[in-house]
Formats: sequence, C-alpha cells, structure tokens
Amino acid sequence: MHNPTPGLPAFDYIKPASLREASQFLMAHGDTARPFMGGTDTFVRMRDGFWREKHLVDVKHLDGMNTIAFDPEIGLTMGAAVNMNRVIASPEVNAHYPLLAQAAGTVASYQLRSRATIVGNICNGSPAGDTTGACIVLQGLLHIHSVDGTRTESLDNFFLGPGKTVLQPGDIVTAISFPLPPQPWTGCYIKLGRNALGDLAIVGVTALGYPDATAKSGYRFRLALASVAPVPLRPVAAETILAENSIDENIIAVAAQAAMDAVTPISDTRGSARYRKMMVRNLTRQAVTDVWQKIGD
Amino acid sequence: MAYHNIIFTLNGEAEAVVVPSHMTLLQMLREEMVMTGTKNGCAAGECGACTVLLNGEPVNSCLVLAVECDGQELVTVEGLAHDSQLDPLQQALVEAGGVQCGFCTPGVLISARALLDRNPHPTEADVRAALVGNLCRCTGYVRIVDGVLAAAERA
Amino acid sequence: METTEKTPDLIGQSVDRLDVHEKVTGAAVFTDDLQFGRKLLHARIKRSPHPHALIKSIDISRALALPGVKAIVTGEDFPEHIGLYLKDKHIFARERVRFVGEPVAGVAAITEELAEQAVELIDVEYQLLEPVFDPEFGASPEAPLIHPDLENYEVPNFIFPQAGTNIANHFKIRKGDTERTWERCAAIVERKFHIPHIQHVPIEPHVAIAKVEQTGKVTLWAASQSPFAQRNLIAKTLGISQSDMRVIAPLVGGGFGCKAGVTMEAMPVAIATKVPGYPVKLRLTREEEFYTNFVRQGLVIKIKVGCDADGKLLAMENTMYWDGGASTEYGVNITRAGGYSSTGPYDIPNVKTDSLCVYTNHPIGGAYRGFGMSELHTAVDQCMDELAETIGMDKVAFHKLNCVRGGDILVTGMTLHPVGLEECIDKVAKAIDWGQKPPASAPNKRRGKGIALAWKAPAMPPNAGSSAWIELNEDGTATLGIGGQEIGQGTFTAVAQIAAATLGVPYESIRIAGPLDTQYSPYEWQTVASRLTWSMGNAVRAAASDTRRQILETVADAWDEDVANLDIVNGVVISYKSEEEQPLKEMVIYGLPNEDFTEWTGGPIVGRGMFMPTYVTGLDAETGQGDRAVVHYTVGAQAFDIEIDIETGKIEILKGVAAFDVGKAINPELVKAQIEGGFVQGLSSAVFEEIQLKEGVMQNPSFVDYRIATSADTPREIESIIVEVPQDDGPWGARGVGEHPMIPAVAALANAIYDAVGVRMEGPPFSAEKIYLAMLDAGIVS
Repeated sequence: MHNPTPGLPAFDYIKPASLREASQFLMAHGDTARPFMGGTDTFVRMRDGFWREKHLVDVKHLDGMNTIAFDPEIGLTMGAAVNMNRVIASPEVNAHYPLLAQAAGTVASYQLRSRATIVGNICNGSPAGDTTGACIVLQGLLHIHSVDGTRTESLDNFFLGPGKTVLQPGDIVTAISFPLPPQPWTGCYIKLGRNALGDLAIVGVTALGYPDATAKSGYRFRLALASVAPVPLRPVAAETILAENSIDENIIAVAAQAAMDAVTPISDTRGSARYRKMMVRNLTRQAVTDVWQKIGD
Repeated sequence: MAYHNIIFTLNGEAEAVVVPSHMTLLQMLREEMVMTGTKNGCAAGECGACTVLLNGEPVNSCLVLAVECDGQELVTVEGLAHDSQLDPLQQALVEAGGVQCGFCTPGVLISARALLDRNPHPTEADVRAALVGNLCRCTGYVRIVDGVLAAAERA
Repeated sequence: METTEKTPDLIGQSVDRLDVHEKVTGAAVFTDDLQFGRKLLHARIKRSPHPHALIKSIDISRALALPGVKAIVTGEDFPEHIGLYLKDKHIFARERVRFVGEPVAGVAAITEELAEQAVELIDVEYQLLEPVFDPEFGASPEAPLIHPDLENYEVPNFIFPQAGTNIANHFKIRKGDTERTWERCAAIVERKFHIPHIQHVPIEPHVAIAKVEQTGKVTLWAASQSPFAQRNLIAKTLGISQSDMRVIAPLVGGGFGCKAGVTMEAMPVAIATKVPGYPVKLRLTREEEFYTNFVRQGLVIKIKVGCDADGKLLAMENTMYWDGGASTEYGVNITRAGGYSSTGPYDIPNVKTDSLCVYTNHPIGGAYRGFGMSELHTAVDQCMDELAETIGMDKVAFHKLNCVRGGDILVTGMTLHPVGLEECIDKVAKAIDWGQKPPASAPNKRRGKGIALAWKAPAMPPNAGSSAWIELNEDGTATLGIGGQEIGQGTFTAVAQIAAATLGVPYESIRIAGPLDTQYSPYEWQTVASRLTWSMGNAVRAAASDTRRQILETVADAWDEDVANLDIVNGVVISYKSEEEQPLKEMVIYGLPNEDFTEWTGGPIVGRGMFMPTYVTGLDAETGQGDRAVVHYTVGAQAFDIEIDIETGKIEILKGVAAFDVGKAINPELVKAQIEGGFVQGLSSAVFEEIQLKEGVMQNPSFVDYRIATSADTPREIESIIVEVPQDDGPWGARGVGEHPMIPAVAALANAIYDAVGVRMEGPPFSAEKIYLAMLDAGIVS
C-alpha cells in the first residue's frame, strides 16, 4: 500500500559556506546526509519514505555551480546547479550543443525544469533520465569535489544499476563539461511518453552522428537508450553496424534491430518489456534516420 | 529539528518568518502566512496547483523548502491584481470562460503570467507547452488557452 | 409553467459567471482555506494494508502515549452502518477489512505530523481471508462472501440484494423474447469488454473539518456536493437528530461525483465526538484520493446484439458484472441505472439484461460522472459500430435508423419524450465531415473517424426534491437561497439568470446565499445526476414567481390596481395602466406607505419555491418494466477524427465534435464549457486512465503513473453543438448536460481507432502500447 505522509519527514537543512565544508559534512555524516540541488527528486523520494536522511545539504550556491561557460578551444562547462530552463535558454548551449537543450526541453513541466538539473538527474542514477543520453553521447565529464580533492569521472562507467552510481559519501559533483564535438555533427532525442509532452520516458533514444573518415561507412553514430535497461545503455553493436556498413535504409533497420536485441527492459506500470523492445527498434530507426538525413549526402 | 529565521519579499512586501527545515514553501504560504490562494493538489510536483513565482520563475512550491526562500522574491496569485484592478491576464481568462471550479486557476495564472513575461507573443503550441504542468479537470484547457492567447494579443 | 410567454432575454444569454472574480484573485475560499485558530486538531487515518482480512486486535496504547495526541477511535466506537442506498459501510472497519486502504482507526493530534506518527504506532493484527478480485468470480457460488450479513442490511425497495452471495443488486430487464429473435437476425455481434476502474481526480483533494460541542451539536465543514445528504446520513449513523448537525459547504474544487454521498466526511465527525469543543480536520493526500475514497466501478460486460437485413435492431442481451468494491452503498444504484438504460439510446424491441453489482475486495465504487453510462456505452456503441459494418451499412445511417425518438417505447416500457438525437447525429456527422477520408499526413500515420451516441437520465430516488428561497434587500438586490452546490459547472450563475429573468431584475442584482449551509440554505437532494439546472432551476423559478407575486400584490394593493396590469422590469414595478413606477428598494423591506406615512402595505418580502418530480414509477423486479422509469433522458452524439502513428501506436486527435440536446441552454457558453470539459475528461479516460490493481493493491496511486490529459493532449479543435428540443417540465425547456459529454468518448475513440487501423480494442485505456501490440498481433505492422 503506497501511503506517503502529507508532508516531508523532519530533517535539518544545512547550507555550507564552501565546497570544503560541504564535503567534510557529508563525509562525517555518511548515510545520514545527502547533498541536494533542485530537490525535485529528493523531496519526492523523502515524502515517499525511500530516502530518510536526517541532513540535507544545499550545495547549489557553491563556487562554480551556476556558471555556463563555453571555450572555443576546450568546450562547454556547466555548473551542476544550472537548472534545465537555463540550459534550454542558454545561447552557448543552443549554439554549440543544441541536443542538450532539445533533450532538456522534453522533461516534465516548466515548473519542474525551473528547479531540476541535468547533473542532479545523472547523480540519481535513473536509467530513465531524459538528458542523460545526450550527456553520454556528447562525452560529458563530471567534475567531483571530495575531501580528497577534485577528480573527474566519465559517464561511460558511472552508472552501476538503477539508482546506483560510482559516487561515494562526501562526493559533490560541481560541474559537467563537454569536449568540442566532432564537426559537423547532428543529434536528436526521441522520447516516448504517455502524454504528448512531459511525463517520464517509457523509452528514450538519443542519437548523435558525424562524418568520420576512419569509419568504413564514412560516418560514426553514438547512441544512448533510456528506460530499457538497469542503466542508460549504449547499444554498441548497433553503433558498429553503422560504422562498418554503407548507410542506407536497410542498414539503419539492421542497426535498429541490433539496438533492440541489446536491451533488457522490464515490464512495469508504464509499459511492457515487449512494447519497450519494439519501440527501441522503431525509435532508434527513426532517430538514426533523422540524423542521417542531416549529415548524409 | 532545526529552525531558520528567513527574510524574503512576498508580492513586493518584505516578510520575516521562522520556519523548520522541512517545511515546504507551500506550507509556509498557506499555514504560516495564511496566503491561501496557492493550493495543495498533490504535494509531489505534478499538478501545478501550488505554482508560484520564485525570482520570477514558476516553481512547484510543494517541492521548494521554505528556508530556501531566504533572500528571494516570491509572487503568488494574490500579487497579480493591482489595487483591486484585475491583471489583463486574469480579465482575459474570465472573459474566455477559462475558470470553472477555480482550484487550478491560481497556478494557471502564475504559469501564464511567467510565459507572457518571457514570450509576449506565444503561439498556441507555446501556451500549451507552458501549461503542461498545470492540471485542470474541469475545462478541458480549451478556454484557458484561449484566454492566455487573448491576453497576449491585448498587451 | 408559462410556456406561451416570450422567453426573457437573460434565458439563453451567455453572461459572465458570477463567481470568477474571487477565483482569479485567489480570494475564493475552499474548505482547506478555512481558518480555525489554535484549537484546531489534525486527523490522520490508520488504514488496512490487506484487501480482505479479519481484525484480530487493535492496540492503540503506544499511539495514545505520544504527547500531542488527543483522541483515537476505532470501529469499536461506532457500531452503526452508513450508506446512501444500501447501508453496508461502517465509518471505521468493524471485525473485518474489505479493501486496501480501509480506515481502521482515526487519530486527532495537535499537528498533522504528530497524528501521522501516532498512526504508525497503532498495532493491528490481521488474519488474512481469501480475497475476491473479479466480479464474475465474485458473483459465482465459489467465491468467499465479503458481506455475509448482506440480507440484514437496510435497503430501499428498488434495490435487490441476493442473500448469501456477493451480489448487492441484481437488476433485470425481460422485454419481448430475445431467445426466439436471434434466428431472425441477419447479423449478430457478440463481444465481451473489461472496463477498468478509474478515479475522478478532482484537483482539490477531499477535506473536512468537524466540531462537536459539549451539547452534542455538530458542525461539519466539507468540500461537498451533498451537504444535506451528508447531514442526514452522518446524523443517523451517530444517533443525532438532523437539526443538531450543521453542514457548511464552501466552493468545491471539482467533484465529478466523488464528493457526493458520504465518503471520508464521517471520520472527522466521529473523531470529534471524542474531543468536544475542538475542531478536527482531515484531509486526504493525493495518494489517498486515488484509492481510499470513491472510484468508478470496473465493469465486465457481455453484449450480444442483432439486427435484420435492413439494419434494424431486433434484440440485445446484456450481462453486466459491476466491480462494486468493498462497499456498494452507492454503487447499487449505478447498477440499476446501467440496467434500465442498458440498450443505450437505441430502439430495440427485445431485450434481456442482467445487471449485477458485485462485492469485491477492491476500492469502493461510487458516483462518477455518467453514473454507469460511460462504461455501458463503451461496450454498446462499439458493438453497434461493428454490427453496422457486419451488415454493410454506413455507421451514421445505422445510427439514424435505430436511434431513439420521441414516442418510442424504451427498454423499460417507458415512452420517450421528444428528443433531438437524430439532429445531434446529423450535426456531428456534418461537422466531422463524415464520409470524407482525407489522406494521412505521413507514411507512418493512419487516419480514421469514429462516432458514438449517448443517453442518460438522472438517477435518483423517486422523491428527490429541490427548494429555494428569495429574500430582497433594501438596495433592490435579491438574495437567492439554494442547496445545490457550485462545483465548477456554473450552477450559481445559471440559477441567478433564472431568478433574475423570472423576477424581472438585472442579473447583477442576484446574490447567491453562499457558502451552502444546512442551517440557512433550503433543502437540495444532492448536486449530482445533472439535475440542478432542471430541478433546482424549477424550484428557483417557482421561488422567483412567488416573490414576484408578493411584490405585485403589495403594489396592486397600495395603488388600488389590478395585478394583471403590473410588471417588474429591470428592478422597477411598473403599471401598464397608470404608468406609475416603484423601484424595488425600501419597499421590499418596509412596505409601501400611504400619502401621510400613517399606514403601510406589505412588509419584508420572502419568496419560496419547491420542485420534486413524483411521477417516476417503480419497475417490476423480474422484468424491469414500468410506466415511467426516469424523469427524462438527455441525448447526444460525439465523433473523433484521429491519426495513429503506426510506429508507436500513439493517437493524435485532430478534431472532436459533440452535440447534445439540452432542451434549452440557459447560458450557451457555460453549456459549451461543460461539453468541452466532459469531452476531455472522456478522452483522458479513453487514452490514459486506469487504476492498475494487483492483488487488490493500486500500483499507480499518484500522478506519476496515473496520467490524465494535460493542455498538450487535447484535440487541435473541439466543436460543441447545442441542440434544443424542449423538456416539458424544465425551466424554459432546459435539461441537464453536466455528465453527458463524457459518456460517448471512449466508444467514439475506439470506433475511430478501428476505422484507422482495423483493430477493435477489448477495453480502455487505449494506450499507445495497447494499440501498437494489437496491430502487431494482427499483422498490421511487423
């Protein structure tokens, strides 16, 4: 029986003055403390009784958390606390990484996007995150502050399972950066929800493609699938088919089939495994075709 | 349980309140400040009945902590009308027939106000997208969308 | 009623609603907005986690010991049953629990948080019982009994519980001879459908506050469609006299039936009896709203219907197993209504219907917009669509051939009054360009159109009354007292128009005496059944006539004139003979003085009116036949023009059209607003909504996974058409339409889906997944 409390459970709100103080507090309090930014996942899970931390540490005001900076030599750096609406409106993002803005635009509602963050979604380790696929195909790098200093983590091995990532107690992700993507590139995110807009992704397909002379086909694709495996998934076999074979309608269909074969979705209240698999195939075909039409001849 | 002294502006006026850490902005508005125009429809960020402007941006106040509002600016539905004159958006919604039971109306007005502030000439699709997070069960949204578009035209 | 007189200008005028200013400024007071001061206690409820179990023990000692807890009650404290039709429910469970979420104990504490903590400290020991989750099984002899005492429950004489079973009501129609008619049928369709439970999803969750004085007098503030019914039922159950209980009902943030009858309102009253002088407030969380209160019953329905070679309907057999849930105190009447309207709006001479309301260990089925008609039409209209195709006839032509008309003998033997169903069909067909099949917009899309009809009668006891009073004020305004509630449908506005038009004052002169308060408001059965414009409208019209008569008699007396020469126009009494004028100001309180102010004629004017239809007759228990089953039917039609994406199964609604015969639209824009709103609620139930139940537990009790239509899901275009074939006893011919726009939506959409991709669905919601997998299994896609 799902019967959450009317309000939030009691906890202490902590607003540290520095990243150092924040990491130290989190380290010291172990699993009784949790960092938060937009709170759109945090507060829902606390009310539902899934998360029971006694200390919530607000990190969104700390150094670097709110900047968006583009360097033409290096790429884009986005503070972890930049909310989705800011991403969607950012001139730097729209000019150089429009896929991020497009994916962020499919999330929930305007109100939730005023608070939700791309990094927050990643840190929650949900395989359903709409923007996670875009971050993966754009080779996003997480910048992490801990009591031991700073480090980076790529997204390739970041997700361990539903809700589980490589983050340790005391870790605070301060930013996500993206290298310059290979030019010219095109990407798209196709989301299948129940409503016309908003909702969670029953299946989400992110596709990014670019010309690459080192590939037999002359092109490379990076694909990421949401909500169809315990973690956001790169269907590598599908990517390989598109790299090794001259691209046409048939090869795209074969690649889409390979993507479908790579996934192990569950059946839940939102959709059955059977439907999800078919949609992986159909939407991968659609996404790759959309990208191909823009980068191909 | 930790308490916080917070100061913020609400509908243009400075306010000072003491709140526990886990009180939401929605609870503070309705229970501490008796500003009951903003409604509680789900406490989970889905229905939008609790929408207010936080530094000019619409948020679900049920998913914002009261303590996070320290030093911030808040606007609720009570702050839309000026000296008993309805805001043109409110007037347009009335004339379009976009108000039935009225429970979703405060949240709708806040979301629509913010839309028109950032996009004075929205398309119908823009209006629908901006209101996706405001659930209505009575109107079927038809006259709500009509009212927002009419308000945009007049401005 | 004066039907030969000219219709006043106000009747048929789309005036602005009179309650909107407060709603757009946030000033409108809903029940959770009421302030009660620091004595207010907060309640939370201990609920059963099991669908069916005996209660072995309840230990409240740890909870009582928590500082701040003021009272805890259980079913032990309140032995009486409660119920609108069949009295089968307790305020708190006694001896056994019958659904997940059933209230077992109630706590009042100084804060909501403390009350919730106390609830966690209550220990309940259960012994699990075998549950029933399917109404067909529940109706069979093998099923365990959920209400072994069924035969002892108090029940009105038009409901027929079957002792020793889970069947709370069995309504039958036996008309003509279906058995012998099948062989005459050139085409027969036989289908079975499963209609899932859905919930009303009012944006305002339930909330109620109760205070019991030391004297025993009770005040209940509640988000309520039915203050008088709540007073009556709760008073009876607690052994209080009705006049010692007062119900105050502020504006309601959406009802759709879930705030009718008594749902959670009895609980704060019960708890408050233990803390005299303290108001006790209970509000449901959204999650509780989804499954612990009223839901719309699920339905398993089997239909067999046949027609002759010309397409004329000959026979229908209809078996309905209503999944009534743990209590059917309200649901038994839905079963009855489903039964007596079981043909849908079609003329069928031979009918056999069995409509069974079956107990299950599921959430409680209650009144939901349509009162059984949406569920029924989902099945009936799909069968008609299939039958038309089987016989090779155009669907619109088939509908026109078979739809009910004035003078037809209906399924219960009642003769139908004049209705404009054919006109509705014609107008809808024209508006949707029926017969035109434009090409789909892309290679992966398929285009289709579907149409469905609907009818519904107000489902009420045979003596459901309305009343109204009017009192005039020194400034010439009139205060209108009514017991019918503004739940968004616009009733306050419509009756203000009726009162103003009858009295002869401007619309702006009418003040509604709100919020509803049983201490001052006159009796109204309930705000349900789409009955207020018609029934309460009649009472208001009568009250306004009475008021007008008193005023004119006073003036006639003072002026020594004949009443027949007097009129009230725009708030002024005028004489057509002498051309004298008298504004309705002080005279309505102080009377009219003579020349030297030594005598007065008249005095305070208070008018009253009443309407209670008493011509409904009973129906035979075996055949369901009777002279007059219902007061009247409202009829209509609806159509969809859609595209389906065959890669995903997603539907896009290009256009929706609906036409309803409302007799007379008192306020046409308000009528259209109802049509639009009902259309979208119907569409939402067709595409998204389902209470997913697994072993009696709702799997999706939140907006995250119980999806409803958002602003992005409505059709690009909705056209609402008003047809007016007057109702003989409605105000200026008006009939209700509040529920009807939702009724045909599911079937119309199902028929459009079939037209687009050639698959017939077994039951809603028609999710993209269901449509896609149906196409996959049918070989339409691979």
